[in-house]
Amino acid sequence: MNPIFKWTLISLAVLLIAAYVALSFMAGGPKDAFQMLRFALPYMHRGNLKVGDNAPDATLVALDGDTRFQLRQHLAGRPLVLVFGSFT
Amino acid sequence: MKIYDDYKDHADFLTIYIREAHPIDEWRMKSNEKDRDDVCYVQPKTLAQRVAIANDFTKRFKFGLPFGIDDMSNAANDAYAAWPERLYIIDENGHISYKGGNGPFKYDPKEVRAWLAQKFGEVKHAQTTTAATQESR
Repeated sequence: MNPIFKWTLISLAVLLIAAYVALSFMAGGPKDAFQMLRFALPYMHRGNLKVGDNAPDATLVALDGDTRFQLRQHLAGRPLVLVFGSFT
Repeated sequence: MKIYDDYKDHADFLTIYIREAHPIDEWRMKSNEKDRDDVCYVQPKTLAQRVAIANDFTKRFKFGLPFGIDDMSNAANDAYAAWPERLYIIDENGHISYKGGNGPFKYDPKEVRAWLAQKFGEVKHAQTTTAATQESR
């Protein structure tokens, strides 16, 4: 194997391990780091919306589990603050 | 909730419940575990499961803001890149006027308050009686 290629691979591996160790430290452990990479990363993104864009509509469900309504139905001539989140 | 109380006469609020951030079958958080906060749920696979957790949440915190739940297509979450938590303000014309950062570190309700304060004025709260009494001594 070409020595430059070999050392590049080794350096990359060391960097990846160091990054994972740092992430584990931040996340609270290697298992937490793995779970973060597996379950959080695919969902964490900036999205395409920008200030000035038309606010997208979406169908939402009320707490009774049956009643459906559109997000934009809550637009009533006043600013609308959207608070996205979950219990956990 | 305080921002809601302060500005509900000027703006509307809608909480949108999305996919769980730290369910126990994905990226679980030790702080959610039973002997601390008892917030242990698996990621809902059905709408009924998500609705049930949302109801637990609103009951536990006596949450009074208008509330909607994202259905299992996660359309609202995807459209707004909301996961795990995010704030937006839509103006009177239906356009995005404020887009908050992704939680947890960039989620900042103070920015929403600042936006509302700039538009409708700052809401000041009277000092507590104890503080006022101590000052007068």
